[in-house]
This record gives sequence, structure tokens and C-alpha cells, in this order.
Amino acid sequence: MLDWLDAFLISGSFGVVQIIGLGLLVHLQMGLTRVANFGVAGFWGLGLYTFGILYTKVDWPFGDPWQFLICAAAATLASAIAGLFIAWLIADLDVDGALVGTLGFATVIFILATAMTDLTGGAAGLGGLRFPYDAGPAKNDEFIWFLLTTALVAGILLYVLWVHRSPYGRLLIAVGTNEPLARSLGKSSTQAKLTLFAITSGLMGLLGVMQAVMFRFIIPTNVSINITLAALAGLILGGITRAWGAVVGVLFTVGLFDIIIQFYVPLPQEWYTQAIPVAREAVFGLALVLVLLFRPKGMLGEMKRPALMRRVHDFS
Amino acid sequence: MTSPERTRAEIHVRGAKKSFSGRTVVDVDELVLGDSPVEGLLGPNGAGKTTLMRMIMHSIPLDEGTVTLHKQDGSSVTLSELPAHRMVANGVVKSTQVVSDFDQLTILDSLLLALAKPAYENPLRWRAERELAKAHEEEIRFQLERFGFGDPCEVAGSAGEKKLLDIVRCLLLKPDVLLLDEPTAGLPDDITQLVMGAVRELAAGGTSVVIVEHDLDVIWELCDEVTFMAEGRVLMKSDPETIRADSTVVEKYLGAEHA
Amino acid sequence: MQDVKDPSPPDANTDGAVDAAVADSATDPGFAQRHRGWLTGIAVAVIAVIGASTSEWVAESIVIGATENAPLVLAALGFALLYRLTGLLNVAYAETVTLGGYFAIWMTSTTGLGFAAAVIPAGILAGLLSVVTYLLVFRPAKRRSVGGLEMIVISFGLALFLRHALQFVFGFRARFFDLPPPNTIDVFGVGVPSYRLLALASVAVLSLAIYQFIRRTKFGLQIRALASNEDLAEASGVQPINVTLLIWFVAGFAGGLAGAFFGVASAVTPLLGTRQLLFILLVVLLGGIWDLLGVVWVGVATGIALTAMTLWFGSDLYAQLVLIVLFLGLLKARGNRLTAGSKV
Repeated sequence: MLDWLDAFLISGSFGVVQIIGLGLLVHLQMGLTRVANFGVAGFWGLGLYTFGILYTKVDWPFGDPWQFLICAAAATLASAIAGLFIAWLIADLDVDGALVGTLGFATVIFILATAMTDLTGGAAGLGGLRFPYDAGPAKNDEFIWFLLTTALVAGILLYVLWVHRSPYGRLLIAVGTNEPLARSLGKSSTQAKLTLFAITSGLMGLLGVMQAVMFRFIIPTNVSINITLAALAGLILGGITRAWGAVVGVLFTVGLFDIIIQFYVPLPQEWYTQAIPVAREAVFGLALVLVLLFRPKGMLGEMKRPALMRRVHDFS
Repeated sequence: MTSPERTRAEIHVRGAKKSFSGRTVVDVDELVLGDSPVEGLLGPNGAGKTTLMRMIMHSIPLDEGTVTLHKQDGSSVTLSELPAHRMVANGVVKSTQVVSDFDQLTILDSLLLALAKPAYENPLRWRAERELAKAHEEEIRFQLERFGFGDPCEVAGSAGEKKLLDIVRCLLLKPDVLLLDEPTAGLPDDITQLVMGAVRELAAGGTSVVIVEHDLDVIWELCDEVTFMAEGRVLMKSDPETIRADSTVVEKYLGAEHA
Repeated sequence: MQDVKDPSPPDANTDGAVDAAVADSATDPGFAQRHRGWLTGIAVAVIAVIGASTSEWVAESIVIGATENAPLVLAALGFALLYRLTGLLNVAYAETVTLGGYFAIWMTSTTGLGFAAAVIPAGILAGLLSVVTYLLVFRPAKRRSVGGLEMIVISFGLALFLRHALQFVFGFRARFFDLPPPNTIDVFGVGVPSYRLLALASVAVLSLAIYQFIRRTKFGLQIRALASNEDLAEASGVQPINVTLLIWFVAGFAGGLAGAFFGVASAVTPLLGTRQLLFILLVVLLGGIWDLLGVVWVGVATGIALTAMTLWFGSDLYAQLVLIVLFLGLLKARGNRLTAGSKV
């Protein structure tokens, strides 16, 4: 079974799906509400590590799937609470303050992951994780986990699509495009940002849980800023204000490097260890600069509110 | 604090001062707004009218003094202690002086945004959009038709359309006190008439309207009472005829041709 | 030739405007008031000397903290120059720092110059690089009136690009200076390598030079005019492009020097500047409440606090952690800049 499938192709696709999920959530934060979040790795990493620590260091009286579910719920909750706190911290700051607040949070998580060696294993990493089920060979387990994660990200996409056609999404867009005007209409922009960050950060934490189980091993460099910037590069290439922007953009960035170049372009073997991963980041950076200079709305272009309103309502 | 019920909500401004860069812009000892249905605020440029309005909304903090809202039911709230977004819940609404809109949102979006109570804006309320539109369908159709908006599913194009949209948003909030800062500036005559009609209707329904306007015809036609401001102070408050005939007002503001 | 009037009134509250200490003070307060900064500095210095002579921990914290973290102050100073005078929060500045380190290694290994001589050309190269990033990326972006959030994302993109592209030039691995071991000089009983004292001296010289340059010279006047109102400055004969290029060059020069000093203390790696970015940002945002000298003082205090806590906890990670949390708290306490200016 699954002989046709390369194990590395599963993990490559898994990475693409992860970053699409993060990109979708960043779209709600930065694309609609225009709150800068450069600390995605922090929220994601908090979920990753909280799950890893709870799952391996606590002596649970019951086994999987309950052990997994309880730990995953706790990790999601931890990220949601962190999101709430960071949103409170930056809600009334300008974009510079938001940058420092979110980047500072991500750095705190990175430092904790490195320094608390008793819990996290420090730079040596944290192992001892496993799939909450057994479907035979590791490849089968991984494939099932990949499908579950894809289902989760599809759920996030559906939520984002729903947000676009809900009064909640309209509130987020209003806060994002003209916060003083939204406040004068009686909208609490602070509360909007708090609920937004609680939900989206919680989901980022849950994506971190999926990562922890897939690779069964966690090291601090997992939670570096590169994952934040990969999600951002994909989202901005696709179109930061569009629901499908992250999906399209991440396929063209991470998908290109981690699937197409990795498996379908014949390149010298020794390039794959260093040259290609480094070139990947350089290209993501260049893409961010070029897209924002020459096509700031991305591949999908402007938010198309009129067409959406016509589909949803009948007032014309 | 309880006091007898009122027919209209009133705003009491007491000892309110504001200065920018050491220059006093507003210095109002005592001013009651809302004791008549439609009240005009008149004065030369730089008299502090717009600043006073923003101080009432607490979008500019006061250096000194208080602004208090006395509601129809006899209760009162100190507006100068509330954050800007709590004004609407207390029935106080202001239109914007500068043309401003939500860049990406359509006309219909704007109306639904104004109409949506916090319960509809729940991030997990599944059918909120349909329910919201259904609950306010007639109202939306009425406003769209009355002011002759084009396709509601388009983004407001001209400055005039944005201005009008701003006023309609304010009307939909069903205010007890409505502050209008130059509502008809830049609007064509027929639309100005429609706006004035809507304001009269609102005032007749019990809303206290305060209006700052440079188009004097609008003031004389609409207002039951006029407050005259100059250099940050309230100089007099009276009925339009008295104001119009007053020598100080003529000298400082209206000029000879109005005498 | 037309005289440039200083268009910023003492109370100008425009964004990115020059600060009160850089702008001339209109009022004439008493001696204590006028020299408050210096008096505070002297008082702090006296307390520091007394503390250093009584406790080894205090002496080590001050001497090591001020010398080891001098490059941080230098980097923050350059960053602050850009941030305060052009309003741009340039994340890619961290890569100017990194490349300063690589340039210095390249200079010492190819020309045989000593470290002290090599830092100057390395700084100049970094300054030129900074100017090139302005001309190729930030100037076009400004012309397209890119928003504040997008501007920061662009600078992140540029940083990501430079950080990885440089590895194809200078190699993937850490690189070390091939220099004889430095002389150690005894300060308050603490041994300090000579290049660290050189770094500290550069901070003092450069910050004073920049400060005096902006305050006293005609070019400085133009810089101030440009920062507070570009159109007005242009109308009164300032050539924005020359002034702006100069600011970018000086900022890059300071960053490049910082990179060289960071590098000589351990090694030059692609992440050298990125590791310092958050601390540069925190020092600039917090110190910037006052002025460029405020950035220097907050930077020095940060350096000393980092070393003091590192010695106390026995771990630099926890020291960084405490400092980040403290700074974020202060940032929140300062807060409320967004809603205060609302115009509705």
C-alpha cells in the first residue's frame, strides 16, 4: 500500500498545507484588519511546544486518542490566550509598536524554547512524540496525518470564506480601512482585535500541534521567523486581501520550492543540503519586495466586495 | 442622579477648554445643546465649532471641564469620560466633517455596518448576515430610495456620494443627539433639500439635532435656535431672527450684505 | 543664497519630526534645566564609580556591559537616525550590520590591514550598501506611496533576501577574523580587549559627531528641515536627495562599524544582525521618546543591564528575556499613539 508515494513528498506537501493555513490566518489579521503580526512563529511555536511538553513530560492516566486530544486542546488554548494578551498589548499602538510587540513575543518563545532545557530539550530538541493511532508502516501514519491536516486547513479556508460574507468580517474590514470612523459608528475596535487574535492565534497553535505530531521531534529553529516570512511571502504574492490569496500564493512559493524543485527538477544532489534552502529564502524575500513594488494587490488583485455583495444580497 | 424626564436629550458643556500649541481654541463656560429640536452652531472660521463637536464626541480629549449627556429618561452620563466608541450606545452620533469612507466597502456594506448590533458581529454566529439583512430590509430599501443611491453593491464613488453615505449611516444609528458638521457641503441642491427634510423628520421624532453649516440658508431655514461662537467662546444664543439682526454677529461674521 | 528657516515650532507634533533636543529650544530655562541631560549623566557616572569600587559585580557589569554592548549602541544610533529623520523603520538595517562584519573580514584578509584600520573602509562599504538599498528599494517604494505596514513588509523582504543572498558570496558557515589576539587593558580591575574599547570610543565619537553635525551645521539644518516638512524644505532650496542620501550613508556606516565590532568579538554569521534586531528596535523605540542622545543613553543602560543580569542569572538568554518583557511593558505604558490623533 502507498508504494507509489514518496515519503518526502508527503512531508513536502504537509509543509505547503501548513503554510497555507498560517497564511489564511495572517490574511484575517493583516489583510482584513490590517494589524501587523510578525510573530506568527511565536503563536505557532507556542502550540508546538506546549503540546510536545504536555504529551511527553506529563504522566497521563489514559492513552491515545484522549491523551492527544487533551494535549492538543491545551496547546490551542495556550496560543489563544497568548493571542489575546498580545492583541491587548498592541491594540492601541501604531504599526511600529505592533511590529515590536509581535516580534518581541516570537523572540520570547524562541528564547524559552532554547533556555528551558529541562522541558524543551533546548537546542538538542524534544523527541518522544508519536501518532495518536497506528496504521501500520510510518508512511501510512504520515499519509493519514497529512489528510487530517489538509482537512483542518480546508476548514480554516471555509471559515475565512464565511468571514468575508459575515457582519464580523465587515467589522474587521471597517477597522482595517478606517479605524476612527468605525469607532465613531460605535464599533469597539479593541474588542474586535482581541477576539480576532484569540481565534486566529488559537488556530495557529493547533497547526503547530499538527506539525509536532507529523515530525515527532521539535527543535528551537522550528520556531524561527522564517516560517512567518514564508507565510507572508505566499499571502502577499497571492493577494493579501483575498480569501484565496494564501492558497494560490503559497502554492507558487513554497509549493514551487518544496515540491516542484525538490522532486521534479533534476539538480545536483549536493545543492539540496544548503544552496537550495538558502536560495529559497532569498527568493521569498525578493518576491516580497518585487510584489509590493510592482503589484501590491498580488496575483488575485483587489478585494471584490461588489461582486460578493451581489451574490449574497438582493437589493439592486 | 435623577431628574425629571425630558422631552429631548440634552448635552451640557461646562468649563470646557482646549488649546493647541498654547493657543486656546475652545473656551466654553456653559452651553446647553439640545433644548430645541434643531440648533445651529454659527461662527467665523477658527471659532472652534468643529473642535467643540469633537470634544463632545471625546475624539479630542478636553484640557479642562466636562461634557454631560442628560437622557430623556432622566439619567445622565459624563461623555467626556467615555471612549469614542461608547458614544453610539448612549445615543450620541456625529457625522464627519472631512469626507471619509471605508475604502473597500460598498454602499450596502456601509448601511449594514451601521445597522449591525454587536450580537450580529459575533465571530461564530453562522447565519448572521442573512438575519441582519432580513431584519432591516425595509429600512435599507427606504433609505436607498429616498436619497437616490445608484447600485448599492458598488463602492461610493464621488465625494458627494460619500458625504451622503456618512449622513445615512448616522441616521441608521437612530441617535438621540445628532451632531452634523457641515452636512450639506459639496452636495447638489436637490440632495441638500432631501437631507434637510430627513433632519426635520428626525427632529420631529424627538432627536436633538445640532448643526454646523456654512450655507446660511440651511441655518435660517432649519434651525429653531442658533448659538454664535467666535474665538473659541460662545457669544450669544438666541432664535435665528435675533442672531441675524445682531450687530456683533453682523460685524464679526455675516458682513454688510446680510444686514 | 536663500536661508533655510527652521520650520518646526518647538511643539511640533508631526510624525517623524525632529525631536525637541535636536530642534532649538525656544524658551530659555535656567542652568539646571538647560543642562539637565549632562547633570544627570554626571550624577549617574559618580554613582557608577562608587558602585564599581565597592562591588565586583557592579564593576564587571558596567565595564563589560558598556564595552561589550557598545556595538549595539552604535547600531541603534544608525537605526535611530533613519527612523527619526526619514520615518522609516528599516528591518533590513540588520543586514547592513551583518555585511559590515563580512566587509571587515574581507578587508583584513585581502589588504592585510589591522582591524582598527579595516573598520573604516568596511563602514564606508556598508554605508554605500545602505545608500543602494535606498535607491533601489525604498525610494521607488516611497514614490509609489506604499503604506506604512507594506513598507515594513518590504524591509522584511529585503532583509530576508540580503541575509540569504550574502551566503552565496561569503559562504554558508561562520567566518572568523584572522588576527593576532588583542591586547587586554585593565579597567577597574576588569580586563577588556582593546577592540572593545575601540568600539566604545567609536560610539562616543560618532554619537557626538552626529549630534553636533545635526545641531550646528548648515547641512544639519537642512536635515532637520527635511524631516519636519519635505515640501516646505524643498521650496526653500534644500535638495532632498543629497540630504537623504547622506542620512542613509551615515546610518549604514554606523551599522557597518557595529557589525565589524560584533564580528571581531566572536564570529561573523549570516544571522549576526538579525540577532540584534529586536534589541535595536526596542532601544530606538524607547530611547526615541527623547532624542538621538536618548537612544545612546538607553542603549548604554540596556548593555549594562544585559551584562549585569547575565552575570546574575549565569545565562544570557534569561537576561534577554527579562529585558524584552520589561521593554514591552514600557511600550504598552507609553502607548495610545494611534487613537490620540483621531480626526473624526
